[in-house]
Amino acid sequence: MAAISIRNVSRQFGDNWALRPVDLEIASGEFVALIGPSGCGKTTLLRIVADLQEPSSGEVRIGADSAAEARRKRLLGLVSQRPAVLPWKRAIDDVRFTQKIAGRVGFDPARILREFGLAGHEAKRARQLSGGMLQRVNIASAMAHDPSVLLMDEPFAALDEMKREEIGAWFDRELTVRPKTVLFVTHHIDEAVMLANRLVVFSPAPGRVLKIVTVPIPRPRDAAFRQDPRFVAIAAHVRDLLMVRAEAA
Amino acid sequence: MAADTALAADHSPKSSAPRLLPRLGWTALRVLTPVGSVLALWYLAIWFSGLPAFVIPKPERVLEVLWVDRAFIGLNLLYTLRVAVIGFVWANVAGIGLAVLFDLLPPTRHMLMPAAITLRNVPYIALISVLMLAFGDSILSKTTIVALAGFFPVLVNTMQGLHAADEVQLDRMRILNASWWQTFSQVRLIYAIPSIVAAQEITGSSSIIVAIAAEWMISSTGLGYVINHAMQNYRGDQVYAVALVATGLSFLIYSLVHALGRRLDWRAGDPRRG
Repeated sequence: MAAISIRNVSRQFGDNWALRPVDLEIASGEFVALIGPSGCGKTTLLRIVADLQEPSSGEVRIGADSAAEARRKRLLGLVSQRPAVLPWKRAIDDVRFTQKIAGRVGFDPARILREFGLAGHEAKRARQLSGGMLQRVNIASAMAHDPSVLLMDEPFAALDEMKREEIGAWFDRELTVRPKTVLFVTHHIDEAVMLANRLVVFSPAPGRVLKIVTVPIPRPRDAAFRQDPRFVAIAAHVRDLLMVRAEAA
Repeated sequence: MAADTALAADHSPKSSAPRLLPRLGWTALRVLTPVGSVLALWYLAIWFSGLPAFVIPKPERVLEVLWVDRAFIGLNLLYTLRVAVIGFVWANVAGIGLAVLFDLLPPTRHMLMPAAITLRNVPYIALISVLMLAFGDSILSKTTIVALAGFFPVLVNTMQGLHAADEVQLDRMRILNASWWQTFSQVRLIYAIPSIVAAQEITGSSSIIVAIAAEWMISSTGLGYVINHAMQNYRGDQVYAVALVATGLSFLIYSLVHALGRRLDWRAGDPRRG
């Protein structure tokens, strides 16, 4: 059974399509990136999967459950572009907060922060952490109750290029320790090719799936993969798909 | 080693004294500047207006009245304070209570908000008259008018504060299937604290003014009554003394609420707040 099953899911606002019907099956442990220009419906699809928004048609299944049931069972973790770390809580208390609300202790908070490279920063509040550290706390908090599915909406977009690559590589390694099914929204082609098993390429608004591109290289991938001819070819292919469609639009 | 000791000896006294003196000087300047300005304007008004002493007495005369009539003014101050505090508490119970109700059951906002706005816009003089007819010169009539004057700023600010919570935090609570109470108590209420404190600063200090106004119209006790009594006896000096006490009390309440609010505010200590 697919970990996430998206069947004929669309979203309309009045007469305007935010998202044309999408069908997508995501296997357990798979990392799927949704990539496309701004306004193509990537975030809308992610929010429908998260049960934060209703689809106009179709349905989402998380394993055997509907999206609403999966949310009620706390099977989902959400990482947004702006960290959802509570500004008045210390990093470790924010991780504990997720566990308290979810009613489930997935991981030891001190251990997960240590493993996320935040040893010595557990007692710091959001304003005392750098952008990269804060996003790590955000991810740690989203994973603290051990959800089976992680939904990530441009989580590294606010970071500079170097930090983005560094935290992306780190996150990929973390997923080998704590495997999750990941649905990842991004604008960044290299990031998507580096991290994902498959890339779902969206057309400009109204968004529809142009093509699903597979990256046939085992994860986690090291920095040397960026120089690999297969990486370059896949990135160029995705770029062409997006450029041609953007020009046509 | 000797050099280290010399350095340490040189640093310790310097580090506290030079910093303390400018701070004390700055505090004195902050207190004396407004007091000095008010006194200067007061004396200028006496000299240039040519009005009689019962209309505009000298500051030293007002201080003398404060001392001589301290028992009378002090007793009535307690009456006013009682009315203001009870009214202030009711204003908060009603204002915060309604805001929480609107957050819990959004349709109630459409049902009750028009009534709250209407009540807010009824002239207070008419309200005082009606309350006087209904309850006479009682603490109920005076506290009701203080509560009615204060609850609307509390309601509006609390509602605004409860909607100030960051959307990403609310999404996080939704994805964790948090209950209304968890979202309210752990996120929305904490984001609302700065707005609630701002409302307390307004309502807290204005409660004294409204209580005096209500007493002035309908009461035989309190600072409002003292003003009324003084006016009838051409005691302008006593009116000024009461005004001084009321202003000081309002300022004290504002300062206390402000200090308490700073302790409760989750943004306290954030250098980016300035």
